Amino acid sequence: MSNDDMTIKPLSKLHEILLNGEFAVTGECGPPRGANREVIAKKAGLLKGFIDAVNVTDNQTAIVRMSSIAGAVHLIEAGLEPVMQMVVRDRNRIALQSDILGAYSMGIRNILCLSGDHQSFGSQPDALNVFDIDSLNLVRTVKDMRETGKDMSGFELDIAPAMFIGAAANPFADPFEYRVLRLAKKIDAGVDFIQTQCIYNMARFKQWIKMAREEGLTEKVYILGGVTPLKSAGMARYMNNKVAGMDIPDEIIKRMGSVPKEDAIEEGMKICLETIAELKELDGVSGVHIMAIEWEEKVGEIVKRAGLKK
Amino acid sequence: MIVGEQKPIKEIMESVAPYKRVLILGCGTCVKTCFAGGEDEVEVLASALRLAFKTKKQRSIEIEELTIERQCENEFIQEAAAGIGRNDVVLSLACGAGVQAMAERFPAAPVLPGVNTTFIGIQDRPGIFSERCSGCGDCGLARFGGICPVTRCSKKLLNGPCGGSQNGKCEVDPSIDCAWHLIIERLTELGQLDNLKTYIPPKNWQTSTSGGPRKLVREDQII
Amino acid sequence: MKTNNKPKITLFYCINAFMESAPVFEGCSIKTIKMACSSMTKDIFLLKAFEAGADAVLVFACPEKQCRYVEGGIRARKRIEWTKHLLDETGIDGRRLAIFNTDIKDPKAAGKIIRETIELINELGPNPAA
Ligand code: SF4
Ligand code: SF4
Repeated sequence: MSNDDMTIKPLSKLHEILLNGEFAVTGECGPPRGANREVIAKKAGLLKGFIDAVNVTDNQTAIVRMSSIAGAVHLIEAGLEPVMQMVVRDRNRIALQSDILGAYSMGIRNILCLSGDHQSFGSQPDALNVFDIDSLNLVRTVKDMRETGKDMSGFELDIAPAMFIGAAANPFADPFEYRVLRLAKKIDAGVDFIQTQCIYNMARFKQWIKMAREEGLTEKVYILGGVTPLKSAGMARYMNNKVAGMDIPDEIIKRMGSVPKEDAIEEGMKICLETIAELKELDGVSGVHIMAIEWEEKVGEIVKRAGLKK
Repeated sequence: MIVGEQKPIKEIMESVAPYKRVLILGCGTCVKTCFAGGEDEVEVLASALRLAFKTKKQRSIEIEELTIERQCENEFIQEAAAGIGRNDVVLSLACGAGVQAMAERFPAAPVLPGVNTTFIGIQDRPGIFSERCSGCGDCGLARFGGICPVTRCSKKLLNGPCGGSQNGKCEVDPSIDCAWHLIIERLTELGQLDNLKTYIPPKNWQTSTSGGPRKLVREDQII
Repeated sequence: MKTNNKPKITLFYCINAFMESAPVFEGCSIKTIKMACSSMTKDIFLLKAFEAGADAVLVFACPEKQCRYVEGGIRARKRIEWTKHLLDETGIDGRRLAIFNTDIKDPKAAGKIIRETIELINELGPNPAA
C-alpha cells in the first residue's frame, strides 16, 4: 500500500494492522442454528489471541442461523473484533441499509459484502430470494455512507457508519481472464480488503496475483489469501466436486490419499502451513484468512506453527 | 412467447368437480407452441377428463372443446361467447393473461386455469423451452451482449458473475448455463468486454413488479 | 377378476412390423388400426381407444433401427410413455398401454404378446372407464 495510507485514521483494528504493514490473520465463526450465545462464546475462546478479526457468516449456505449482526455483537462482548458478513440474497436495499446502521451503532466496524449462496442449496429452497442489489452495489453503498455521510437515497445521516469494507474474490472461478477485471471493478466500487476463496491451486493463485499486480490493483487493496486445512482425501474430493467455485488440484488430493488415514490430518495441516508460508512471501498478499468452520480449535495450532503471531 | 405447462389432471378434476358442463377453451398462440393449451392439448385433456371421471365412478361430465386464436385479445375472445353460454364453467388453457381476459369479458361465467404459466422464453430445440426475459420494464440487453442477467443469472447480478460460476455453468445447477459466462464470451467475441468495466448502479425495480401492477398508455392509439 | 366377455384389445400396428392373422388374436376381441409408420401413433388416438372401451391398447412398431423413417419407432415410444403417464393420472393405469417391436416374419412372438396382454387384463380387470 502507498505511504500516505499511514496518515489515514484506521477504521477498525483490522485496518490498523494492515496499515502498519503487519501480516494480518482473520478467522471465521459460523453462528449457531439456534439462539444459544454460548456457542459463540465458546468459539471466541478458541480463537482469542490467535487472530486479528473474525468473520461472522450470514446464513451461510442459505441455512437459517443466528444473524451475523447478533453473532458479531457477541464476539465484541467476548473481546474479539468481528467482520460482519452481509449477503444480498435475503434483504432488499432498505433492510440492508437499516442493518448497516444498526450494526455500526453496536460497534461493528468491518463488513464483508457478498452475493450469498443461492437458497436452492439451503434449508429452505422454497424461499423467495431478493437480490435487489448486487454485492458491488452493497460495497458502493457502504463506501458512500462513509465518504458522503448519506444513505442510498441521498439522505444525510446524523451519524454515518464508517466501516472498513471487504469483499470476496475467487481467483479459481471461471472465466479466469475476467477475474482480474472483476477485482478492479470491486476496488473501484470501494473495497478496502479482499478475502479469497481457499487456495489449493497455488500456481493459479500466483498467476492471478501477478495479473493483479500488473494492473496496479495490489496497491489499492489489501488481499488476504484464504486457507482451509483438509482433513482427508475424501473431504478434498468432496470439496472439489461439490463446493461451488472450489479448485483442488489432483496432486493435493493424491497427497492427502498417499498417507495412512491416521496421518491425514497432519498432512492437511502441512499443506496448509506450506500455503501460508508461500503467501507470506508473495508480493501483493497482506494476510491470511483461515477458514476452519466447526474446527475452530485447529486455528490456534495453525497460527502457532505458521509463526504468524508473536 | 409465453411458456406454460398443463396442470396435473388431478388438480384440474378437483377444480371442475362442482360443475356439470365444462368448456375447455384452448388458445392458438403461445401455449399452443409450447404444447400446453392448443387445439391438440384441448382434445387430449377432454378425453383424459372423460376417462378420469368415469374411472372414479363419479357422475359423468359433459365437455365441449373450443380453441380460439388468442384469449388475450378482445377481437378473438368474442368467438367463445356462444360456447361459454352453453356451459357452467370455462377451463381455460391460455396463459394467466388469457384466463383473466376471459374472466373480465364474461363476468357471469366462472373461469378456471388449466395451465401453469411459467415464463417468457423460447424453444431451444423441440421440446425444450427456457426463460429469457422477466419483463423488467427497462431493458439493458444492449450492455450485456444481448444476454439478460436479470433473468438468466440466478442472482440477478448486474456487475459481473458470482464466485460460483464454473466451467460455464451456474452454481445453482449444472444444467443451467451461467449467464455471466455467456455474457463475457459474447462480449469478448464482439470486442466489447470493456462494457463490463462500467459500474452499474442499483437497478430501479419500479418499472418491474415493485411499482405495483403496470400499465402502458399509447395516446395515439386511444380513440 | 373374471369377466364374462372376452378382453377387448385395440392394436395399432405399423404395416412393416406385423401382418394380421386370426390365430394370433385368439382369446380376445380385437380391433386393429393399420399405420404406414408407428410414428403416426398420437396420444389422442390412444386415449380415444380407451374411451371406446378397450381394456388394453397395444402398439406394434418395427424392430429398432429397422424403421423405414429412421426415428418413427423412437417417437412412438416417447409418445406412449407420455400417454402412459396420462393414463396413470386418470386412474386407468398406464400398464394397459404398451409398445412392442415386432418382426413381420415372426407371428408367434406377436401371439405371445397378445396372450400376455390377455393375462394382464384378467389381472387388472376391465377398463374402469368403460
Ligand atoms: S433486461 Fe429486462 S426487459 Fe430486457 S430481457 Fe432482461 S428482463 Fe427482459
Ligand atoms: S453462477 Fe453465474 S448465473 Fe449462477 S448465480 Fe453466479 S453469476 Fe449468476
